[in-house]
Amino acid sequence: MPRCLTVALSVLALSTAGKPLAAQVRFNRDVRPILSDRCFACHGPDAKNKNIPLRLDSFDAATAVLGGGRRAIAPGDPVASQLIARVVSPVKGLRMPPAASGPPLTPAEVETLRQWVEQGAQWEKHWAYLPPERPARPQSPWPLRERNAIDAFVFTRLEKAGLSPSPEASRERLLRRLSLDLTGLPPTPAELDAFLAGSGEDAYTRAVDRMLDSPAHAEVLTARWLDAARYADTNGYQTDGERSMWRWRDWVIGAFQRNMPFDEFTIEQLAGDQLPHPTPSQRIATGFQRNHRGNGEGGIVPEEYLAEYAADRVETMATVWLGSTIGCARCHDHKYDPFTQKEFYQLFSYFSNIPERGRYFKFGNTPPLMPAPTPGDEAKLAAVDSKLEAAEREWARLQPSASGVLPPAWTTTRDRLLHATPRESFDGTRFLDAGSEPPLLGYFDRFTITARFTAEAPDGPLITRAKLEQEPTGWGVVLHKGKLRVYFSSRWLDDALHVETAAPVSLHQPHHVAVSYDASRVAAGILIYIDGEQVPVKILVDELNQEFRAKEPIRIGGGGGPGDPSREFFKGAIGEASLHGRVLDSAEIAWLASPGRSAVSLDAAAPELRRAFSHLFDLRQERARLIRGFPTVMVMEDNPVPPRAHVLLRGAYDKPGDEVTPALPASLDTGPAATRLALARWMVSRQNPLTARVIVNRYWQMIFGTGLVKTVEDLGSQGEWPSHPELLDWLAVEFMDSGWNVRQLLKTIVTSATYRQSSRATPELIKRDPENRLLARGPRGRLSAETVRDQALAIAGLLDRRVGGPSVKPYQPEGLWKELSGMEYDQDHGSSLYRRSLYTYWRRTAPPPSMMNFDASGREVCLVRASRTNTPLQALNLMNDVQFLEAGRFLAQRMMREGGTETAARLRYGFRLATARFPNEKELGILMGALAHHRDRYASDAGAAAKLLAQGEAARDASLPVADHAAYMAVASMILNLDEVVTKE
Amino acid sequence: MDPIRSHLHLTSRRQFFSRTGMALGSAALASLLAEDSGAPVPHFPPKVKRVIFLFMSGGPSQIETFDYKPKLEELRTAELPASIRMGQRLTGMTAAQSSFPLAPSVFPFAQRGQCGMWVSDLLPHTARIADRICVIKSMHTEQINHDPAVTFFQTGHQIAGRPSIGSWLAYGLGSENKDLPAFIVLISQGSASSGDQPLADRLWGSGFLPTRYQGVKFRAAADPVLYLSNPEGLSAAGRRRFLDDLAQLNEQHYEDFGDPEISTRVAQYEMAYRMQTSVPELTDLSGESEATLALYGPNVRKPGSFAANCLLARRMAERGVRFIQLFHRGWDQHVNLPANHPRQCHDVDQPGAALVADLAARGLLDDTLVVWGGEFGRTAYCQGKLTATDYGRDHHPRCFSVWLAGGGIRPGLTHGETDDFSYNITANPVDVHDLHATILHLLGLDHTRLTFKFQGRHFRLTDVSGRVVRDVLS
Repeated sequence: MPRCLTVALSVLALSTAGKPLAAQVRFNRDVRPILSDRCFACHGPDAKNKNIPLRLDSFDAATAVLGGGRRAIAPGDPVASQLIARVVSPVKGLRMPPAASGPPLTPAEVETLRQWVEQGAQWEKHWAYLPPERPARPQSPWPLRERNAIDAFVFTRLEKAGLSPSPEASRERLLRRLSLDLTGLPPTPAELDAFLAGSGEDAYTRAVDRMLDSPAHAEVLTARWLDAARYADTNGYQTDGERSMWRWRDWVIGAFQRNMPFDEFTIEQLAGDQLPHPTPSQRIATGFQRNHRGNGEGGIVPEEYLAEYAADRVETMATVWLGSTIGCARCHDHKYDPFTQKEFYQLFSYFSNIPERGRYFKFGNTPPLMPAPTPGDEAKLAAVDSKLEAAEREWARLQPSASGVLPPAWTTTRDRLLHATPRESFDGTRFLDAGSEPPLLGYFDRFTITARFTAEAPDGPLITRAKLEQEPTGWGVVLHKGKLRVYFSSRWLDDALHVETAAPVSLHQPHHVAVSYDASRVAAGILIYIDGEQVPVKILVDELNQEFRAKEPIRIGGGGGPGDPSREFFKGAIGEASLHGRVLDSAEIAWLASPGRSAVSLDAAAPELRRAFSHLFDLRQERARLIRGFPTVMVMEDNPVPPRAHVLLRGAYDKPGDEVTPALPASLDTGPAATRLALARWMVSRQNPLTARVIVNRYWQMIFGTGLVKTVEDLGSQGEWPSHPELLDWLAVEFMDSGWNVRQLLKTIVTSATYRQSSRATPELIKRDPENRLLARGPRGRLSAETVRDQALAIAGLLDRRVGGPSVKPYQPEGLWKELSGMEYDQDHGSSLYRRSLYTYWRRTAPPPSMMNFDASGREVCLVRASRTNTPLQALNLMNDVQFLEAGRFLAQRMMREGGTETAARLRYGFRLATARFPNEKELGILMGALAHHRDRYASDAGAAAKLLAQGEAARDASLPVADHAAYMAVASMILNLDEVVTKE
Repeated sequence: MDPIRSHLHLTSRRQFFSRTGMALGSAALASLLAEDSGAPVPHFPPKVKRVIFLFMSGGPSQIETFDYKPKLEELRTAELPASIRMGQRLTGMTAAQSSFPLAPSVFPFAQRGQCGMWVSDLLPHTARIADRICVIKSMHTEQINHDPAVTFFQTGHQIAGRPSIGSWLAYGLGSENKDLPAFIVLISQGSASSGDQPLADRLWGSGFLPTRYQGVKFRAAADPVLYLSNPEGLSAAGRRRFLDDLAQLNEQHYEDFGDPEISTRVAQYEMAYRMQTSVPELTDLSGESEATLALYGPNVRKPGSFAANCLLARRMAERGVRFIQLFHRGWDQHVNLPANHPRQCHDVDQPGAALVADLAARGLLDDTLVVWGGEFGRTAYCQGKLTATDYGRDHHPRCFSVWLAGGGIRPGLTHGETDDFSYNITANPVDVHDLHATILHLLGLDHTRLTFKFQGRHFRLTDVSGRVVRDVLS
């Protein structure tokens, strides 16, 4: 809790000083937190909007002479300062802050303010908005213990507090700590042995380099980045349909694996699409900004959600890179930090310029999106392309000069789902039922509808497959007021595509019509051809959001639609109605429409010609299918013409205020930045005082459990004063100077003596610094949700180390999705059960419970602060979740097969697999006793043993005696439940 | 948390741990079960100790339940007047309708009880407790679609990320029972549910509060709480031995490493073990009398039904669970309302009324608050085709009805008025934040002072608004 920490730190500050605060009051450290938290809400940057004359967020304003000659602050004169008088006023109506705004200031806070005023009320710009400068390396009292500059800063602070560093951790524990931090996995026995056999500094550095270079390291960094990016496999609202962003996730893994400089990493994710000639990879990177939730609920007002998405992008960017709560300025000027509401919408306008829909598709990716083939996909495509090239050559060689007409003649009879119907006349009183045999086509299908017709009246259905209603579900091609109208409808008014020809179709004359749909789910994916020519259309409704199939027969000359389906039928003649299970191209449609085609004999062509074309055609189809099967990813794009952006009054989407254009906040800005790309470049420029600090602070949190600024999401006025301000700045400058080298930053941190200290704590130290903010000992803390599970799988030897690919669905208790939404969780089997947890399918409205029990982020919004709780649900999870029971079973199996023949040796082996150390005598005694107990029990109850061993789907080694295996499993499961095992220490 | 209260928390928790001979870890504060069985520290004397929230997910129609509108009978099929709609937004589902014909309720209403409250024939059992409940006819919300509206109702904000109301209470008041969670969630499927309008874990999530405050879902499955049961083949005795050995090893390690987090973990394993007993005891209805079971109706014997969940709610109330959240799905009748609303009402009517009566009979109603309602109401005009017997209704955020019963509530009161169309509120509007403020008030909490600092801001359940509805208080 922030409050507890504040108390703890000020206790430390007071006790270390050993004297009153005098001579030491610093505005940014001591005074700003009080003014910001207790006064700025009314007397801060937003005061002008509340018509409050007094502002306390600048020296000039706070010392100005107000009514009656009074001043809030008279520098050097606390007695004449109204601020001091008012915070201690015994009169309830006069005392500040007012009772409604919280309790009075504490005596210590008052004293701080008083001394500060007495000392001249010196003002400083908020520390985080000043560019970091490399501080001099201080002289610490333990120079021999120092391994790098980090230690100089930390030790100097320790000395001030009257503390001293702890000795280095044991080598086993150190390697385990390092391995869990850098790879999220425990060291293997072989890695341990090699490390213990190696000597000194060199062995440690080699281990660090080996780990930093591993894919497992890239995966660990990615897991944390996914929290920041609110990455998930579903859309997050209501039905919470699936989306596919894993190609972006794999882009992140690849970037970390290559140690992409963090400035490039930033620019590509914020504006990769705006780079000159962007590569596919640079475009995929922008998926970061499409990871927010997308609402596909019927009936929403799209504009409301367009505003929501753009705001989410701004708020996420602000948290992730700027450590700023600028999102607070969405409804009003920021109450604590120097950001106006207008500035929020200037940032907003960078992110609202995207051709997207407010109403996302319920299922699947919503444009803008791009195909994102994997390397495997690309290889398959290359193979087809080379075959295709040969087939094209062969066809060119064989093709007779005048036979352009032949291929459509052949291909249009292929993939036909409804064969051309005979010509029928309709008098407006009947229709033809063409049966229900053809497969139902819908949302995700590509198809073409064709027919010939002569209309005698301007209204009437031509061909439909829809409910017999006026506003049906289904699809139809109908004449309506003389125009040809096409509908694909799930719900007529607001969940449908409605398109009609721009011009009427003439009556009493024969026509050919073709309508193709490319499964894009947008109106632009429907093409209408009249007499073989594509015609201009008018889009009436472009809001298709879910499946439109209707289990109805195909009707010719009748069916649901704008008219009354019980009375209004077609008048005229319809023939050759057919349905093709693919999108016919314009040449094929022209052929179908051509009047003389029935005279062409299909069999007249030479067989070799037909074979060659058939081969070519198949390959073209295969290529198209392959490309359609590529995974896609949602990305950023610009509108051809940027839409106008406005301040939204009180944040309401339907209350536009002044128009705004892209620009940086004045308090951070050093120049214009008209595009997202310019914003991205500024983000990682030296002009930006925040990004480097924010990023090093978060990596510090990843390693030490708490940031140097604990409020990693807020380095603004309301954020915490850093525990080691100079160290933070030193790291930030070092990071930038290194070319934003993340790997080097982490190496500096983990090779420091500070990191390598033992995490043992004396009661005195616990009392003195319970959260270990001063770092008189090494980091100790529970593992992240992912690491708790991954480690168990690794210890058990079950972990599948494949990197990347679609998300997987491991074990989860039955019925969790169903009770919330009616959807089934289709659990995977085999090796997919044992992938690393960052690949676990993330359904936002029902996230994996074993992740949530261990404080994972729910991935609905950006989250960067690490949280670690200690609850009974975690105990139940580790004891009874099949994933962990099965891991226990396999750890038992490893003990029995790899641990030797002696009981003690096996137990020692298993304990070491889990903790990286051998048990001491007492511990071994407990393990031996436990095994004996369970062995006795299972020896006399083979049924129970068999039941216990039935946990999980992986087959056990049947040669192991059942009772023995069950007894070892009980002990192994207990080992996996040890505090030491779920803790890095 | 204010410093005084956090000090009290610390003190009482310390006492607990000193009783059990354990040191205190910083995450000892982090237990799910509020082990400080000492008195919670509300801002002022509370009227009630716990809340049972019967949430009707999907949006029940006020027009068929509590908001009697005889005028609609006369205006059947007439267009909704523009003077009533006043250009207010509709959902995209009906905004493009060419006509908005008014549809009266096909179900008759009558005045009930001494108080003369109007209740429709769809809720005969609720009608019988009219003198015990207070109906607010003038509820309104800002949200017009399910996901944001339910999220708004449960967290005070339409966008994900805020703590749910139960989490706020678990954080603010803790639990009265150290063997059960402070905040429990129960879900039932409506008879008219078509699988639409899903729920989401966020509705009982802890948002930016520590995850220990999130609601724990009790399920009608073999494991009422996830991972509660020992695996087959491991007996209770085996588990006890397992825990004893585990505790010994952890204590050994504590002696070596000195991190109080270790002893906290030992304590959490013991609590987990106690839950393995306390939860099955709680969910075992075999000790309930036939008379009690009959009170809740025949569905009470169906695990996972709303009736069974109501009975469980009473058992949880008896055991001091702070916030008991029921969700009943299936109320979203855009079409076929006359066929489906009776089924939904039948699901909830008898059990809900039985819960109130049962609590009263056991003397628990005096310090329990029961709340019944959904995320919004439904339109007076018909969605789709209006026939003599059939119609549907779209979402209507501008007025809807909820009822309250229990300690501190004025029974028999009907609060607020709507116009003849049940479209706009004409007197005493109550918004969602007001209802939240009132619930907190009854629990002895000032909604402006129950705050948590996150991202530099002191957040509260009621955001920047909320007003206690004093008129409904006794």
